[in-house]
Amino acid sequence: MTTALDTDSDPKDRFISAFEVNHGQTLNGTSASISKQREDAIEHFAELGIPTNDLELWKYTNIAKIIDRPYTLPLGAEPPSVDESDIAPFLIDDMNAHRVVLVNGRVDESLSDIGELPSGVVVSSLAQAGDEHPDVVEEHYGRYADYEDDAMTALNTAFVQDGAFAYVPSGTIVEKPIFFLHITASDEDLFLQPRHLFVVEDGAIAKIVEAQHALTDAQTFTNTVGEAFVGERGNLDHYLFQDEGHSASQVHTRAAQQKDNSVYSTQAVTYTGEVIRNNATVEADGTFCESNLFGLVIGKDDMHVDNHTRMDHVQPDCNSNELYKHVLNDESTAVFNGKVYVARGSQRIDAYQQNDTLVMDNDAQIYTKPELEIYADDVECSHGATTGQVDEEGVFYLRSRGISERQARILMLQAFSEEVLSELGIDAFRDHVTELVRDRFATYV
Amino acid sequence: MSTSETEYLEGKASEEYEHGWSTDIESETTPKGLSEDIVRYISDRKNEPEWLLDWRLKAYEYFTDLLESGHYPDWAHLDYERPDFQDMHYFSAPKDKANYESLDEVPQEILDTFERLGIPLEEQKALTGVAVDAVMDSVSVATTFKEKLKEKGVIFKSFGEAARDHPVIVRQHLGSVVPYTDNLYAALNSAVFSDGSFVYVPEGVECPMELSTYFRMNEKGTGQFERTLIVAEPGAYVSYLEGCTAPMRKETQLHAAVVELIAHEDSEIKYSTIQNWYPGDEEGNGGIYNLVTKRGICKGDNSKISWTQLETGSAVTQKYPSVILAGDDTVGEFYSVAFTKGHQQADTGTKMQHIGKDTKSTIISKGISADVADNSYRGLVKVGKNADDARNFSQCDSMLLGPDCGAHTYPYIESANPSAQIEHEATTSKVGEDQMFYCHQRGLGEEEALKLIVNGFCKEILQELPMEFAVEAKELLAIELEGSVG
Repeated sequence: MTTALDTDSDPKDRFISAFEVNHGQTLNGTSASISKQREDAIEHFAELGIPTNDLELWKYTNIAKIIDRPYTLPLGAEPPSVDESDIAPFLIDDMNAHRVVLVNGRVDESLSDIGELPSGVVVSSLAQAGDEHPDVVEEHYGRYADYEDDAMTALNTAFVQDGAFAYVPSGTIVEKPIFFLHITASDEDLFLQPRHLFVVEDGAIAKIVEAQHALTDAQTFTNTVGEAFVGERGNLDHYLFQDEGHSASQVHTRAAQQKDNSVYSTQAVTYTGEVIRNNATVEADGTFCESNLFGLVIGKDDMHVDNHTRMDHVQPDCNSNELYKHVLNDESTAVFNGKVYVARGSQRIDAYQQNDTLVMDNDAQIYTKPELEIYADDVECSHGATTGQVDEEGVFYLRSRGISERQARILMLQAFSEEVLSELGIDAFRDHVTELVRDRFATYV
Repeated sequence: MSTSETEYLEGKASEEYEHGWSTDIESETTPKGLSEDIVRYISDRKNEPEWLLDWRLKAYEYFTDLLESGHYPDWAHLDYERPDFQDMHYFSAPKDKANYESLDEVPQEILDTFERLGIPLEEQKALTGVAVDAVMDSVSVATTFKEKLKEKGVIFKSFGEAARDHPVIVRQHLGSVVPYTDNLYAALNSAVFSDGSFVYVPEGVECPMELSTYFRMNEKGTGQFERTLIVAEPGAYVSYLEGCTAPMRKETQLHAAVVELIAHEDSEIKYSTIQNWYPGDEEGNGGIYNLVTKRGICKGDNSKISWTQLETGSAVTQKYPSVILAGDDTVGEFYSVAFTKGHQQADTGTKMQHIGKDTKSTIISKGISADVADNSYRGLVKVGKNADDARNFSQCDSMLLGPDCGAHTYPYIESANPSAQIEHEATTSKVGEDQMFYCHQRGLGEEEALKLIVNGFCKEILQELPMEFAVEAKELLAIELEGSVG
C-alpha cells in the first residue's frame, strides 16, 4: 500500500494529513516505545515544520524545495521484486560479512545472508526486534536522536516502520563486519523513512557497514535516522557509503551515545546523490571516551552535500577527532558545519576538528563553518579549515620525477582523500571504496 | 584550581570599576522616547541641511518598520534584555556650547575628567603630537592641531560641522558603506546620531599625525549614537584612534555607533580602538550595551584597511568590523583582543568580503575569558566568483581563565572561486601549566606570570596599535588581569 502525498497542500500539512489517515493502521508499531513516540513526534513536527534556509542549521541547504515534490509514501509491506543479480554489483566481493539487504527501507530476507552470528548477537529488522527484543528496543529506541528539536527526526519518528537492527550483548566480539545494504527500487518517486538501531553493550566490539545504492532513476527522498549506543569499554565502527545516483536526495541522521572508556568511530563517504544532508551527532556521556568522525565528499555535477556534525562532550577526560574532506568538481557544492561542545565541568577534553576542501572547478562552491562552544577551561580544543586547489608544487615535484601531469594530479587527489579513507577499518571495504574514488578521479583530468 | 587562585578571582570580581564616576556639567536633554519629532529636533539643533534630515527620517521609518515586524537581531551568542527604545534619551548636549579655538576655553571640569582617565589633553598635545577631538556626550568640545591639519588639507571635524561645511563629500559617502537598511542598530543610529567624527584626507596626503577621538557617555540614561566617516582619497594615509571609557551607571546604557571607512586607490586607513566602558557590577547589573556597526570598503585598487581593537569593557559587546575588498590587490586586516570577565559577554569578529582579484585578508583574533563571562568569535570570509587568487589567513585563539567561563568560535567560510586559498585555525585552551611552571621557576609570582603569558598571547595584536595606544593598551590589560589567575 502506498500513499501519494497531497501536493495541493503545504508540504508540512501533507505529512500531517498522511499521518492522520494512516495512524493506528499501518502506522502502529510492534514495540510500545515506537508507537508511543509517534504521536509526540508528529506534534513536534507540526510545531517545527520543514526546515527552511532561514534556520541557521539549514542556511546553505534548501531541503524544503526538495521535499516539496510529489512523493509517494510506501506504507505497505510489499517491496518490489529485486533479485540477486540486481544487487550483485553492490556486493563487496572480498568482504566476508553478515549481510542484510534492505529494499526501500525494509529488510528483504531472501536477499540477506546473515550467516552464523556469535551467541546472543541479533541482526534483524527493527520491526522484528520490536517483537522479539522489546526490552532492548525499549531501552534505546528514540533516546539518542532528538525528535523534539529536529524536524526531520520528528518526521521519521512519526512514520517509522522498519529499518536495520543490530544488538551485540556484553563482552561479545563480532569478528566479521555487519553489512547493511540499502537498495532503493521503484518506478515511483518514493519518500522513504528507514530507522536503524545499533546497540553495542559493555565490552562488546562490532563493525557496521552501511551502503546506499539505487536501482531506479525515479526522484527519491530518504529521511534516515540511525541511533547507536556504545556501552562501557565497547567499540563500534560505523561506516556509511552513499551512492544512490543523481536523482536521489536524502537527510541522513546518525546519533550515537557512548559510555565510559568506549570508542565510537564513524565515517561517511558521499559518492553520488542530488541533495544530501548528513547529520552526525555523538554524545560522549562517559569518561575516557574516544570519538572519531570522518567524512569524504567526492562532488560532481550539481551534487549538493551538507555535512553537519555535533560532538557533545558532557563528561571529562575524553578525546574527539574529526576530519572532513571535500573534492569538488563541476558545479558541486559542499557544506560543512562541525560543532564541538564542551559542557561546564567537562575538563581535560582534547577535541580536534579539521575540514579541508579542494575546489577543482570555477562553478564549485564551499561553505564551511567549524564551531567551538567551550564552557570548561582545562581543555585543548582546536579546529582548522582550508580551501584551495591542488598544490602546484607537489604536482611539479611529481612531474620532475617523470610522472605525467595527469597522473600527478590524480596522485595528489588520491593522497588528499587517502587521509580519510585510511581510517576505514575493514580492508575489503576500504579497498572497494578507494577504487571507486580513484575511478572518479581518473575522469577528472 | 588552588585556593589562592580562587581568592585572586574573587578579589578581581569584587573590584570596582576604575573609571566610574560622572562629571557634573549641566546639560540639555530631550525627553525620553523616540519619535519623528525627536529626529527632527536633533537635526534642527544641529542646523542640518534638508537632505540630511530626509535621510534621517527614512532611516527612522525603516527602524520602526523593522521593530514592529519583530526583526530584532538576536542571533548572536548573547543573553541580555532588549533595550526599551522608548525609555531613553536620544539627545543631550553640554550647556557650555562647543567649538573652542584653544584649550584655555574648555571648562576645567571636562579637562579634569580626561585627566582622571589618564589622558590629559595638554600632555598629549605636547608629548605625543596627537590631535584630540574630544566628544563629551554629543557635541565636540575641543579640537586641537587644526592648523597643522589645515595646512595639509586634511579635514578632521565633528560630524555636524562637516555636514554643514562639506555637504558634497559627506552626502556622497554617508551611508555608502553602512546603509541605514543594514541592521536595526544601523537604522537607529542613522535616525538619531548626535555627532561623531569626520575625516577626509585628500589625494596623495599622508596625515601628519595620528587622529584620535575619545568618546564619553555622560548623561544618565543617554544612549550615545556617534557616527564616524573616514574618506581616504587616492594615495592618502591616515591612522585613526578611538578610545572609550564611561562613568559608572546604575541603569543600562545603549551605545550604537556606526563607522564607515572608504579607501580609494593606493590609500590606507588604519583604525584602532580601545574600548573600556563600564561592564556592570559584580552581579551583572547595568553596564554598557555596545552594539556597533563598523565597516570599510577598499574601493580603489591597491588600497588597504586595517582594524585593530582591544575590547575590555561593556556588559555586552557585539561588533564585527568588516572590510569589503572591492578593488584588485586590496588588503583587509583585523586584529582583535577581547577580554571578558565578570558577567561580560562579547560576540565579536569580522567579515572579509573578497570581490576584487588578488585580494588578501588576515584575521587574528584573541579572546580571553574569565569568571562567568562568555566570549565568542564570529567571522565570515566570503570569496566571490570573480575574486581570483584571493588569499585569507585566519587565526582565532581563545584562552580560558577559570572553570565557569565560555569561549566559542563561529567562523563562516564561503568560497565560490577555486583559486582562492583560505586557511582558518582556532584553538581553545587554558594557560599552560608548563608555561606557569617555567615562570615560577624564574621567580615570578602567579599574577606576574599570568600577565606575562597573556601579554605574549596578545602581543601580535598589541603591536599593531600605534605607539601611544600600545602603551595604554598594555597597561589596561595588566589592570584587567589583576587577580584573574586561573
